[in-house]
Amino acid sequence: MSRILAHRAVLGVFALTVALFVLSGFIAPALLSGPSLRTVALLSSFVIIASLGQGIVILSGGLDLSIGSVITLGGVLLGAWVPQSNVGLWWAVPVILAIGTAFGAFNGFGVTILRIPAFVMTLATGIIVQSAVLEYTNGAPQATAAPQLIADLTDSKWWGLPIIIYLVLAFIVIGSLVQDMSSYGRLVHAIGANPKAGVVAGLRSNWVTIGCYAISGFCASLCGIVLLGFVGAPILSMGDPYTIESIAAVVVGGSSILGGVGTFAGTVGGALFLGVLSNDMTAIGMKAAWRTLIQGAIIVLALIVFRSLQAERNRGRAGGPMAGAKERLLGARKPAE
Amino acid sequence: MVGSSALTLYSRSPSSVSITLYIVMFVVYALAQGHFVTTPYGLSVLLNNSISLAVGAASLTFVVITGGFDLSLAGTVALTNTIISVAGFNGVGGAIEALLVVCVVGAIVGAVNGILVAYGRLQSIAVTLGTMIMTSGIALFMLNAPGGSVPDSIAYGLTGLLGPVPVAVIILVVFTAAAAVLLNYTRFGIGLFAIGQDRAAARASGVNVEWTEFRAYLTAGIVAGLSGYLVSAETGTGDPRFDASFLLLAFAAVAIGGTSFRGGRGTVVGSVVGAGLLELIQKTLFAVGVASFFTGMFEGALMILAVLVGSLGSLMAARRSAVS
Amino acid sequence: MDEVLHISNLAKAFGATQALQGVSFEIAPGEARALLGENGAGKSTCVKILNGLVRPDSGTIRLSGRDYRPAGLSDAQKAGVSTAFQELSLLPDLSIAINLAMPDLPTNGLNLVRFDEVRRRAAATLASYQIFDIDPASLVSSLTLSDKQRLEIIRALSRKPTLLVLDEPTAALTDVAWLYDQIRALKAEGRAVLFITHRLKEARDLCECATVLRNGEVAGTVDLAGTSDSELFRLMIGRSMGTAFPDRPDKTAPAARDKPEELVLSVEGLKSGAFGPASFSLRRGEIVGVAALEGQGQRILFNALAGIARITAGQVRIGGKPVKLRSPAVAKQLGISFVPEERKEEGLFFGLLTRANVSISNIGRVGRFGLVGRKTEIKQISGVSEAVDLASRYHDLPVDALSGGNQQKALIARTLFANARCLLMFDPTRGVDVGTKQAIYSVIQRAASDGMSILLYSTELRELTALSDRCIVIYGNRIVDECPAESLKEEELLERMHDAHAGRASKELEGGREQRVNSL
Repeated sequence: MSRILAHRAVLGVFALTVALFVLSGFIAPALLSGPSLRTVALLSSFVIIASLGQGIVILSGGLDLSIGSVITLGGVLLGAWVPQSNVGLWWAVPVILAIGTAFGAFNGFGVTILRIPAFVMTLATGIIVQSAVLEYTNGAPQATAAPQLIADLTDSKWWGLPIIIYLVLAFIVIGSLVQDMSSYGRLVHAIGANPKAGVVAGLRSNWVTIGCYAISGFCASLCGIVLLGFVGAPILSMGDPYTIESIAAVVVGGSSILGGVGTFAGTVGGALFLGVLSNDMTAIGMKAAWRTLIQGAIIVLALIVFRSLQAERNRGRAGGPMAGAKERLLGARKPAE
Repeated sequence: MVGSSALTLYSRSPSSVSITLYIVMFVVYALAQGHFVTTPYGLSVLLNNSISLAVGAASLTFVVITGGFDLSLAGTVALTNTIISVAGFNGVGGAIEALLVVCVVGAIVGAVNGILVAYGRLQSIAVTLGTMIMTSGIALFMLNAPGGSVPDSIAYGLTGLLGPVPVAVIILVVFTAAAAVLLNYTRFGIGLFAIGQDRAAARASGVNVEWTEFRAYLTAGIVAGLSGYLVSAETGTGDPRFDASFLLLAFAAVAIGGTSFRGGRGTVVGSVVGAGLLELIQKTLFAVGVASFFTGMFEGALMILAVLVGSLGSLMAARRSAVS
Repeated sequence: MDEVLHISNLAKAFGATQALQGVSFEIAPGEARALLGENGAGKSTCVKILNGLVRPDSGTIRLSGRDYRPAGLSDAQKAGVSTAFQELSLLPDLSIAINLAMPDLPTNGLNLVRFDEVRRRAAATLASYQIFDIDPASLVSSLTLSDKQRLEIIRALSRKPTLLVLDEPTAALTDVAWLYDQIRALKAEGRAVLFITHRLKEARDLCECATVLRNGEVAGTVDLAGTSDSELFRLMIGRSMGTAFPDRPDKTAPAARDKPEELVLSVEGLKSGAFGPASFSLRRGEIVGVAALEGQGQRILFNALAGIARITAGQVRIGGKPVKLRSPAVAKQLGISFVPEERKEEGLFFGLLTRANVSISNIGRVGRFGLVGRKTEIKQISGVSEAVDLASRYHDLPVDALSGGNQQKALIARTLFANARCLLMFDPTRGVDVGTKQAIYSVIQRAASDGMSILLYSTELRELTALSDRCIVIYGNRIVDECPAESLKEEELLERMHDAHAGRASKELEGGREQRVNSL
């Protein structure tokens, strides 16, 4: 998207979020308050972290359905290796991040070298990780508390905000640099926009793609680590909602689910928007089911919107981002004359 | 010569790999379980939990042959299973009502998919991901956690025997035959293959591509509803969450059954046998004493392998029938 | 009005390209009309319009006296127009019998397809066209290319059309005599045939008149008996308005003089897929043109050199050193840059800005510490942008907002930005306006004089003759001729391209059915 358009989309999401936040004040005055804002920011933090990875994978034209499981893995491993005190935190965190990244690279390997469809590969990995966690904890993770430092991230405050918010802000900066401003990010944009052209132009698509999934694994395990601090003790289902939530955040944030288009700034806006939305829904007492329903509807709507925007642009033959999934997965056929 | 033509037939048919593996696996399983397996009761136990997966895999087959994917299977199953668990259909009459209801629900989901994919030209993975989540969301309205109870008429209907033959077997055979006929002996079925092989050539050959593709998703939706019905029968309870494991097993079954994700070739029989094979492997692992947690890991690895084997299998079949 | 087909003032534009303009001709009953023209002259657009696949912007068509506006293929078929397509419209993994029957598959009371009837009909159809060596139950994919072509033709014939359209039907056909018989039978019945071909000999054998298209317009409708080959070539080529070529920079310019004999790229015994073996070389600062009719293997050659198609035999040397072009990334590293045929499908990244599209080939240059900076990027690509005459105001626009010509410029700018030694250009001026063509010609010449080696394939012979230092001719997946600088004239090039075929064709007829068209 052109610079102006991209800015517009991101601004749009943030504007919508602010508008929604203000509107929610009419529903319940308590919602338009500092504490409410703080809750939203805190809860959205985890989605934001997970969504960087998901966003980059989607940008490359794929999908990561293993995020939830890897988040759980991160939380459970940390809870098992560093119970309560901070002893061992210095090695446990890097090791967990490495494990998450490794699973991500495994996903990437399957998608690129083995040519397995992304949703199959990541779903499979998710199930593998999930059962590995199950096995490791024998079905019931220890009910220990999280390491002190990690718990402090969400409990203690600096200048009125939980520490983690500052960390997430730094994360947002780094994430934006990677996805929106780096040359690597450019490559991801390109292969997501037109995988075939990516190959023809010699962009080393395989390595770039593996990198995307590795980043996703990293982000997921990082999310699991900090999530443990918030949740208090490892729970087997702690990561579950984040798979879909991250996809929804990415999509609401203006990324095309088909790849090639999307900014992390937008994703952050999307995560915040969904955060405000679910905060409101909880306050009103709406059933959790609405959340799922709306997320699904959002994905479909985003598809329709993007397709019609694109149809306007490409009058005539199809091309560009519609060099679709099948070609991406299975190797393109020769274009007919 | 009969021998060579049989061999040709074997290597040409996409489902030959899965059938062979099934026979091999069955022998292994029989050895592990003993005599038990070959009795009607034993067979019934074997099949009891596999039928929903087999039907689910069949549902996917229709769409995969056109070159698409249908993730909404898991959502439709969750929704129909939930409906049966809470709606209170009772007795035989209720069982039939329930059957009709799941078909309608499945048809609606399938129609939405079909319109968006065939006419809207939206990507099937993304669309069906969305509808999967949405249908699960609707299910969550009816049941916010696993629970509810499936009426006896449905839950016990599967496990019985009709004479010496397990009901499950009858259902499976009848269903597979019907699906195979639909796929291989109707204009609609041929149209599906055509679209998957070469969309432009299909159009140039007179196939109404959009209408046929729409009906592929519609059919998949209805069959998905049936799969949900069978899940209700098998589990006796409702679960509004979409089962990723089930979805993945279904795709793996399709792949191992010889239906290529590329589209254009495949069989329903292969998918059904593939589903049986995967279930059989799980049961064998369990019988041999592999801890159930590990089964999950094996499942995941198995699915990856299944997709690989499947794509190899259909690649072999394709190469053999082509002369460069 | 007893004509079978009456076309009047047909016009069709695709974006900026005017594919057809003011096209008018008629075909009488019992007539076979040849439709001739260079690639891109508008022949396939005509075919698509006649089949209802494309709607004309203006003009009228009358079929057997009635207004003809097909909404799609089945409309066209019902009205009596049947086509054997150049890109075969057969379904590879379905049986021959089913393919022949499509879309009218006979069904029984239960609406199930009666395969026995399908097979019976197919056998009958094949027999009626004297084909006895094809088993209707076998899959289309098991057929040879020649038989597939035959099947495509039979399918069109079996619909008993009023107008039979044959689009390059003999490209893979081994038994051309068979086709001749069918066409003569059709003519005797008072039906009409539109025969699109580049093979003049066949056109003369079958047709009385030929309509020659050039640049989307009818250059003339001539009586074949009274028109020589060279006259036909002249009609096909003609002289279009105003594309003068920029003066060639002095060939003895210092850069070109610098190691003028240095072989940048040399290819020996190259084989890839059906193409080859082929050998040729490129020197520093040299532009080697590739002249070939549609689908003669040039695409495979370019894809092989670009690292996209696998090289199965032979050796490639770059700067004297043997290399393995394992992938486009490897080729890029070795200094080969590729301008692909389809800019939309294989070249550009829609959704990305123009400057991103240009800089992607050398992304490391446009920023520091792994980041991309807008100002740096624009500064870095300004050089190549100017070279291709791409206005800087386009840099910040999404590339899909640009016209076809500007898109092509951006693509070429990208390949220049990669700092390659050797440029492979596959039909770079396709679908591009006159002004852009000029710019592209300048770029090519300037790059060559700066020392770049260029392998240029173009379907416009004018370009090849004006730009190339020498020209290789490809036919039937082999390099069959090389045209040195002195004999680089369009008519002569065209003749060499056709001669290659003519030479082979006469050998075919002598050798009978066993002689296959060269390794197709």
